Amino acid sequence: MSEIVLTAGLLITLFFLLGLGVWVGFALTLTGALGMLLFSNAPIGPIMATTLWGHSHSWALAALPLFILMGEILLRSRLSDHMFKGLAPWLGRVPGKLLHVNILGCAIFAAVSGSSAATAATIGKMSVPELQSRNYPMGLIIGTLAGSATLGLLIPPSIILIVYGVATEQSIARLFIAGVLPGLLLVSMFAIFIGIYGLVRPDLFPEEKQSFTFIEKLKGSKRLIPILLLIMGVIGSIYIGIASPTDAAAVGVILSLVLAWFNGALSKSMFIDALMGATKTSCMIAFILAGAGFLTVSMGFTGIPRNLAAWIDTFQLSQFALLAALTVFFIILGCFLDGISVVVLTTAIIMPMIEAAGIDPLWFGIYLVIVVEMSQITPPVGFNLFVIQGLVKENILQIAAAAFPFFLLLLLAVGVITVFPEIVTVLPSLMDAR
Amino acid sequence: MRRHLNGLYNASGALAAILIFAICLLVSAQVVANLITKIFGTSVALTIPSYADFSGYFLAASSFMALAYTFKHDGHIRVLLVRDTFTPKVKNYVDRLVLTIAAVTACYTTYYMALLTLEAYEFGDQSFGIIAIPLFIPQFFVFLGLLIFSISIIDTLLSPLETDDAVLDE
Repeated sequence: MSEIVLTAGLLITLFFLLGLGVWVGFALTLTGALGMLLFSNAPIGPIMATTLWGHSHSWALAALPLFILMGEILLRSRLSDHMFKGLAPWLGRVPGKLLHVNILGCAIFAAVSGSSAATAATIGKMSVPELQSRNYPMGLIIGTLAGSATLGLLIPPSIILIVYGVATEQSIARLFIAGVLPGLLLVSMFAIFIGIYGLVRPDLFPEEKQSFTFIEKLKGSKRLIPILLLIMGVIGSIYIGIASPTDAAAVGVILSLVLAWFNGALSKSMFIDALMGATKTSCMIAFILAGAGFLTVSMGFTGIPRNLAAWIDTFQLSQFALLAALTVFFIILGCFLDGISVVVLTTAIIMPMIEAAGIDPLWFGIYLVIVVEMSQITPPVGFNLFVIQGLVKENILQIAAAAFPFFLLLLLAVGVITVFPEIVTVLPSLMDAR
Repeated sequence: MRRHLNGLYNASGALAAILIFAICLLVSAQVVANLITKIFGTSVALTIPSYADFSGYFLAASSFMALAYTFKHDGHIRVLLVRDTFTPKVKNYVDRLVLTIAAVTACYTTYYMALLTLEAYEFGDQSFGIIAIPLFIPQFFVFLGLLIFSISIIDTLLSPLETDDAVLDE
């Protein structure tokens, strides 16, 4: 009985510290220290130092700053200008018209950048003014941008999958490859949704007068070809197994520097901006990961995750029921916490429960990322909403309302991968078979 | 004093950035070496000795050396939902409380990281790779980063003593 009280006290402490505005890394560390103090006689300080050190120098984690740097360089390399010019000529006649530029542009940028906020900012900066000047309905411009930018989390390279992989000791290469098909599934769901919208309400979509010959279309897209090659090179080399994610990331950085140089965007100040930006972002994540690493060790001492798993087990829930309950829980949690914090808290506390329920941790990683994607577009804390608010100067609730259909599509995708888990697992298992 | 402290944060941030780019160059060089081995089929595989170890240690040093710089540039994540509903005066108190909590935690961690580093130095702990790297070297940078981080938090806590405004507003 007293254990339940202590456990509740610990969780309340964690959420109190977070709510107070203590930096996430510190809140996790302190909760971990308190847990060890209450439940064990283990020496807190020495274990803390050993864990911080042990969790911060892994080879796999080195992929994190490199992929962030690659995205930072590319987002400063006039990539987004080419994106609109390269995609728009192909899409003028498709139902849903140029709104598909948002979806495809985000999907392509997602494949070079691991962050959804960066994806929203980069694509939105270019597409929102263009689409606005062509009189596309504002709600749909915002909705497609907010929804599609969440793809940045799932389509590899994905920062959040690196975090999950490091925290749960899963292969990051396998997680990346597992994200490919669900990512494509989401892209097609978004595109079909906008296509149907275009068929049902053609009056909402402005006329696209300009028509292009095939050659003109190809010419417009030729600037996109290097990017597509870069994407295929990065993902392909990981899939074939000739490069680890860290190798692919390092080469990706060098190639994106070359690409930026060709586009005439490479300068000393641009490079320093990109490098310092990447340093900050990866430090922010490493800090949270270090705190989460200590919390995980401490949780091992307290036995809370084991007890939680045993307690959940007494309900005899089916996997579906458990996942449904978890989805609701994550959506609520995601309303208040950023995606990385949600993932590290999950891995520190809920992972034993997942394994006890017989859920594949690889599949669960992809599931978790899609649920976290949903939290990017739910108020009050949705990072994509903030980014888009900066671009269009509309009320955050209006933006959230415009993004709501995409929230439902993401929920549908969670259902689809639950019923057909092969969408997640087939590519990684082919990779193993090689 | 102000100038020196800012210089300290920026210098440690710059070192962190250099380390990240060093990882990039090191790993790329190894990839090129792999390619050369594959193409020319040299009997001995070209390897940069212990490059994975070095990458990891660079990463650890970078992550911790960047803590203070990231902190001063408002890069660390925290939940502002509740705080943003407070009046400036209350925000001021809450910020000071939060900074105090952070400062105590950071100093505590720094102290134990110093002990770990000293221990590694005294016992001569080394990595197991081809090149045996003394562990106290990367650990020293982790400790140093934590120390500068602690200084930056205390610096923020103490600086605007006489104002009634929120301490941490951008």
